[in-house]
Amino acid sequence: MTKKYIGKRIKRNEDPRLLTGQALFVDDVEIPGMLHAAFVRSDYAHARILSIDTEEALKRPGVMAIYTAEDMGEDWELGPPLVSPPPTLEDVIFNSRRQAPLAKGKVHHAGEAVAVVIAESRYIAEDAVEDIWVDYEPLPIVVDIEKGIQPDSPVVHDDMDSNLAAHIHQRKGDYEAAKDEADLVIKKRFVIDRGAAVAMENRGIVAYWEERSQQMTIWDTTQAPIPIRNGTAARLGLAENQVRVIAPFLGGGFGPKMMMFYPEEMLIPWISMQMCRPIKWIEDRRENFYATTQERGQIHDVELVLSKDGKILGLKDDFLHDTGAYDPYGLTIPLNTQSHVMGPYTTENFSSEIKVVFTNLPITTPVRGAGRPQGVFIIERMLDIAAKKLNVDLLEIRKKNFIPPDAFPYDHEIIDQAFAPLVLDSGNYKPVLEKAAELVGYKEFIKNEQPRLRAEGKHIGIGILPFIETTGVGPYEGARVQIEPNGKVNMATGIGTQGQGHFTSFAQIVAEQLGVKVNDVRIVTGDTSEFHWGTGTFASRGAVVAGNAIHAASVGVRNKVLKLASKVLEAPEEELELEDGMVRVADVPRMSISLGELAAMANPLRGAVEPGTEPGLEATDYFGPQYGATAFGCHAMIIEVDPETMMIEIKRYITVEDCGTVLNPLILEGQIHGGVSMGIGNAYYEKLHWDENGQLLNASLADYLIVTAHEMPRKIEIGHMETKSPFNELGSKGVGEAGAIPVPACFAQALENAFEDVDLEILEMPLSPNRLFELLKQKES
Amino acid sequence: MKLEGEFAFSGPRERVWEIIRDPDILATALPGTKKLELVGENEFEGEMQVRIGPVAGTFGGKLTVSNEVAPESLTLTVEGKGKVGFLKGSGDIILTDQGDDSTHMKYSGEVQIGGRVASVGQRLFDTVSKSMIKQGLEKLNEAL
Repeated sequence: MTKKYIGKRIKRNEDPRLLTGQALFVDDVEIPGMLHAAFVRSDYAHARILSIDTEEALKRPGVMAIYTAEDMGEDWELGPPLVSPPPTLEDVIFNSRRQAPLAKGKVHHAGEAVAVVIAESRYIAEDAVEDIWVDYEPLPIVVDIEKGIQPDSPVVHDDMDSNLAAHIHQRKGDYEAAKDEADLVIKKRFVIDRGAAVAMENRGIVAYWEERSQQMTIWDTTQAPIPIRNGTAARLGLAENQVRVIAPFLGGGFGPKMMMFYPEEMLIPWISMQMCRPIKWIEDRRENFYATTQERGQIHDVELVLSKDGKILGLKDDFLHDTGAYDPYGLTIPLNTQSHVMGPYTTENFSSEIKVVFTNLPITTPVRGAGRPQGVFIIERMLDIAAKKLNVDLLEIRKKNFIPPDAFPYDHEIIDQAFAPLVLDSGNYKPVLEKAAELVGYKEFIKNEQPRLRAEGKHIGIGILPFIETTGVGPYEGARVQIEPNGKVNMATGIGTQGQGHFTSFAQIVAEQLGVKVNDVRIVTGDTSEFHWGTGTFASRGAVVAGNAIHAASVGVRNKVLKLASKVLEAPEEELELEDGMVRVADVPRMSISLGELAAMANPLRGAVEPGTEPGLEATDYFGPQYGATAFGCHAMIIEVDPETMMIEIKRYITVEDCGTVLNPLILEGQIHGGVSMGIGNAYYEKLHWDENGQLLNASLADYLIVTAHEMPRKIEIGHMETKSPFNELGSKGVGEAGAIPVPACFAQALENAFEDVDLEILEMPLSPNRLFELLKQKES
Repeated sequence: MKLEGEFAFSGPRERVWEIIRDPDILATALPGTKKLELVGENEFEGEMQVRIGPVAGTFGGKLTVSNEVAPESLTLTVEGKGKVGFLKGSGDIILTDQGDDSTHMKYSGEVQIGGRVASVGQRLFDTVSKSMIKQGLEKLNEAL
């Protein structure tokens, strides 16, 4: 059936509000009597707190209260584990250490909150923060994960005798036997460093406890309003429906706003209840570099074993993962990395041991990609090296190892981030790779263009590689759809929105079933008073999990419409069609009734109620996938490097995406553009520089280089392919992270290609112009 | 972070030595010094106003002189903290008599910084500290 709304390039419903400054963000919330919070944060990465002197600060006019961990008394408790610890499998170790609302006794990373000032204005609160004197006894510091795992390393947590946060070893087949038979064994070590998510909007929270109505309202920049509501109610001893959490418009999430509970999320509502006043806290940019979670620190020791014709016989990847000072997010990131090192390739023999290490650095939790970019980087780098050694074409070695299209659903025979079998639902990789090769003109470039440009002395390189992305994970989401008597439709879902275009793509799903205009569907996301079942917006799951719940609820309403209209119009349901806000008898257009009139009829008056009647044209439904949906794609790029400055111009950038059913190509392309820009940052600009004392040396946007228009390619050329997911009705797959995931790997390949003459080898990410200069100098000497 | 450099004093080594060992003269020479008091043998306590780019504040701390070989060399150890962060470091100073009534100074040391001074100021820390040292040494030279 051709779709009327799904798959159409429709402009976003929400943009007029966003572009004219009429959308509500957390910092727009103003309540009479509201007080403001500012935090005292540790300058030390690891230190004992000897004393906190708040006397001077309390004297400052306008300061209303100051809280330290001691002041919280029995209400001081650690944050909950966000992801359940792994089940007790053989070999699995998991030591849960979680963040506190305020540090007690010891600080474990620079920037950890030690005290909070509540004052009449943020200015006064900030000044009072400077009045507070904290006496610390500095302790030895763990920054390097490799040193941190040694037996003689200082220990982050006093009650532990090492920094081992977790350990897991997954195996498949017999790697050692495969190695014995292999023609080629490649061993490499990869170092991957941390970067920040740098959402345009920092975090923020307003909490308002209304004593008279006994209601707590929280505006929070969270990607997970419902878990925040439930957790807050539990912490404060309130019923869940006494707490309303609203995640209004957010200026980007990218993962770190999924972390819960942040200390501020535990504290601000608690203080609002203590003081019976609304309290606002808005994070500043410098705090964001320390107090918001980050990602990507890993060191991999990898072995890839192949036959001489380039067939993968086995893969071994033992790696260390930096979890920072605490590990509330469990094993999600390293398991995601592990899930993506085999990628789209048949790998009969596999062995991968993960050691997660505590350090005196901020917590790591998923940032757009969530472990996947590392996995893709590892396997694609290894295949590039293998192709060179075997003198095989880069595309051919990949094609040779692709899981064939008839092998899906394909079980990689390890467990994934949800401790469920890593099953790839569907895939057809070769056409995607070939399409990207065609779009970038791979053969022509290698054969004619590159030699010509090289002859002119240009350092020009090409990169092209495929990737997969597991998306759309459980547990579930829900939606409620209702037609109002004015003919307009309301849809509420529990997930929040951070710029993904939900107000449009979700409306398209509803419109498809109900035959109304897309802008006649009013969407509510992220308000627990409107819908209070579900988890959140993360792991590229909105379009899959919430999308299918919305689809199911819309089908439910459609069925109610058909049933009632069939009675009213005296025509069988099969002959009815929903179009232009009307229900019509297909061949007799004058026999019709508007959805609004039907909705009014569905709310029966006295005497018209038959037993079993449910009022309204309304339905609620849920979707919980057994397995995720596996998106895939291919990126290709042509770069030119200025050998003087090491600055890079991206001449062409091509992505071919297969994310199943496309809901709205315009929104999809926007998601990819954003992802690619983060990926470019991750590949060549964005790196957090921690010194050996756990001090961040570039905690400002003057020093931390995010990608701007100058570093972006002029155009991103996008090709779509569509392999529907067999496991959900819409056939959709996630794409929110896809743009970012393969970029560092592709970038590295293109750089190596640009410096083929000196045999440059890239074994790290992120790089930088300076680092590239160093690597090339090392080659010279 | 490493700090090292050289300086030429236009005066004899003994006189240079006297000056750098006099807390009152030192206090006037170190830019931003509000206070520098001798509190024990070779131990000073002081306060210093520092501005590094966007970060400004007062550091309070201790300065210790050790390994003293008059009038040739000594080691300085500083430990200070303030609302904008902390610093800790030590450095060696060597004076060489040039024979023509001038003295050559060589200094080298290592300093650790933390807090806002590090996170926002680090890019400027190197230049600012070098210029502060230069200003201070020039003041001392004038005092000769």
